[in-house]
Amino acid sequence: MTDFEALLRTLAQNRVNFIIIGGAAATAHGSARLIQNLEIMYDRSPENLNRLVDALAKYKPYLRGAPPGLPFRWEGATLRNGLNFTLVTSLGAIDLLGEIPGGGDYDELKSGAVELQVFSAHCLCLSLPQWRQSRMKPSVKTRRGASSFHSSGISARSSARFSNLVNWPRNLRGTVPIGPFLCLAMIKSANPLRLSSSFL
Amino acid sequence: MQDPPKRYVDPVVEAYKKDIDRTLIRENLKLTVEERFRNAMALQRFAEELRRAGREARSRRS
Repeated sequence: MTDFEALLRTLAQNRVNFIIIGGAAATAHGSARLIQNLEIMYDRSPENLNRLVDALAKYKPYLRGAPPGLPFRWEGATLRNGLNFTLVTSLGAIDLLGEIPGGGDYDELKSGAVELQVFSAHCLCLSLPQWRQSRMKPSVKTRRGASSFHSSGISARSSARFSNLVNWPRNLRGTVPIGPFLCLAMIKSANPLRLSSSFL
Repeated sequence: MQDPPKRYVDPVVEAYKKDIDRTLIRENLKLTVEERFRNAMALQRFAEELRRAGREARSRRS
């Protein structure tokens, strides 16, 4: 079970610079979809990487979905060599992204991000325009220097989830014409002859 | 000895599969039913807290 409150408090208490993104950000802006985990974009400055390592170290982060026993070391070098990590910790699942598709990195987005007080933890969250922008371009910008398997494999998985989310507004758009159509059908149903003739 | 029948692979499913993060599904399948319910409740609480925080932020801006 994911303890979101503890995850956010831990990050905030360790002064980790991060922005809430993905489904959680959409929820903060009113989305009714149920989210599955916490996705954050983290600042890739060396100091922040160390703070992030310290914050999560005691919760034994490990690559989610990877077979047990891999020589995965939770340390600054791992974060530096990789980019996007989908992790499982003793507090639950968390996705750490260095960049988001179409959005940019922490430095590019922090000025436009919205400040939120979630579970008494102060954090930043993607603004709605930023969130929309990130949905428009599903392709992941991959850092060429990041050659470790964590980066290549995991960012592909993350891009997958993003492309899933991209479908969300598209799906909503798809449902828009149904509303007026149903209303029209209900109005016409008062006169069954007209309804049947219009449908025939 | 007969070879086992080949498993049908739907090309459409395969095409979509690469774009879907199935690790969370696998993690969920490891849980008991009760744990899944508890997880769903935690997710719902988190979602409510996020919506409340979002409303608060919007009211601050307006």
